Amino acid sequence: MTSPKVPTLEEFTARAALTGLTLTPEDIEHLHKGYVGLLTLMDRIPSHWAWAAEPPHVFRADE
Amino acid sequence: MTDLTTLGIAEAGRLMARGELTSTALTEAFLKRVELVDHKIASYITVTADLARSAAKQADMEMSGGLRRGPMHGIPVGLKDIYETAGVRTTGHSHLKLDYVPAIDAETVRRLKDAGAVILGKLGTHEFANGAMTPDQPFPAVLNPWNTKYQPGGSSSGSGAAIAAHLCMGAMGSDTGGSIRNPAGYCGTAGIKPTYGLVSRCGIFPLAFSLDTAGPMAWTVEDCALMLDVLAGYDPNDQGSAKTAKVDYGAAAHRPIKGLRIALARSWYDHGVTPDMKKGIDEAVRVLKDQGAAVEDVVFPDLWDYHICGRIIITTEAHAIHRQEVIETPQKFGYTTRRRFQLGAFITAEQYISALRFRRKLTQDTRAAMRGYDLIMTANQWGAPEAFGEPQPIFHFLDKPSLTMPFNVTGQPALTVCCGFGSDGFPLSFQLAGRAFDEASVLAAGAAYERTTTWRSHRPKL
Repeated sequence: MTSPKVPTLEEFTARAALTGLTLTPEDIEHLHKGYVGLLTLMDRIPSHWAWAAEPPHVFRADE
Repeated sequence: MTDLTTLGIAEAGRLMARGELTSTALTEAFLKRVELVDHKIASYITVTADLARSAAKQADMEMSGGLRRGPMHGIPVGLKDIYETAGVRTTGHSHLKLDYVPAIDAETVRRLKDAGAVILGKLGTHEFANGAMTPDQPFPAVLNPWNTKYQPGGSSSGSGAAIAAHLCMGAMGSDTGGSIRNPAGYCGTAGIKPTYGLVSRCGIFPLAFSLDTAGPMAWTVEDCALMLDVLAGYDPNDQGSAKTAKVDYGAAAHRPIKGLRIALARSWYDHGVTPDMKKGIDEAVRVLKDQGAAVEDVVFPDLWDYHICGRIIITTEAHAIHRQEVIETPQKFGYTTRRRFQLGAFITAEQYISALRFRRKLTQDTRAAMRGYDLIMTANQWGAPEAFGEPQPIFHFLDKPSLTMPFNVTGQPALTVCCGFGSDGFPLSFQLAGRAFDEASVLAAGAAYERTTTWRSHRPKL
């Protein structure tokens, strides 16, 4: 998928302030590591999808 | 005299049907063992002894009067403590729900009670079926009955540990990314994650709406099948519930497997499992082939693809569910749970939607790879569970892909089957997954394997 730039801890802290969460510096440090880890793995998800060809609604295994 | 707590559900049911065993005697045997043994593994949060005795007495009265409700009549079971139970506190293993006493039963609990099952109590879980067991939670961590220095796997930890330690005959678990199959594998029990939509989630604390499933765990595959017989079926109060034809899973567990075609997803586990695990699975393949099944290597999409897809969905949906509480009372969560729930605040709408689209692609690709096969077989876990002393990462999912996640992503039914024990004494196990709503073939193959091996006679010593 569209790979967003990996945020620095400072950039991530600024973004965390907008989430509405009450976070300690230790929380932010852990969350930064977790987010960067997820972001790296998300590179595996394709970046382009044909419009309407891949509807995201997947809730039933018997479709 | 036989220790009644080592009986299986099927066997106990037969004895009760013949009038050779009462539910009261069976229930008392389990309550006594819980009192004597459970302090060693802490699998129970709440024991409902009085309610259990009353339900057992009722079952005995009915059976002596000629009323036989089915294979679960008079059978003592436990419930993961995220299943709402009328008049009994349901904590989710969390400070947030310490005093929560639901007024009505979860649909699955209602079905078990209607079938005459005896509820022994509520079992330990990872907090809200997601966090790890941390010391800042209100109840002690559940320990692995094969070696109490090690974790039992989660999140249905108490369910797996209690069954292995014969502290109940069966238990309910839930599985969003592997939470039935992980403790089943590490504790050496059987457990099935049903097809998404087969079993109602109404009245069960949610973790991720589009992946959550509820399912049974028991010592044998046949016993899981008997539990599934009373659990499966449409529920209008669960929006993910599917309308499906009634299937006799207990009978399916006795079907021969000659001619069954099994796709072995060896590439998922071949380079990561322990040598013992690899040997155990190779031997299981041989046993299934001896019974007439065809087992062939098949290449499926990369394991990491399913893993990240499922993780993005779980992280986002879990945050949406618990957002208000992590904002208002973050200190009430365990430190691992809190951060796993907070992480979803950073996932964008585009990332979540892409994961859902990827889910559909993976489901289609898996179906295509499975064409011509009835089942998929693969490893259930990489090796032994983690020891308690080792520092646990907050985000455990970054190091290794989950072997169980593929079938949460695709929604297929997946069963855990014990296939021996490693040199370290821990159980080995494999998974069998079927086409959507074909639990019958999954259970047939698992039960056929169990009948021709001796692993079910080996229990942990406590």
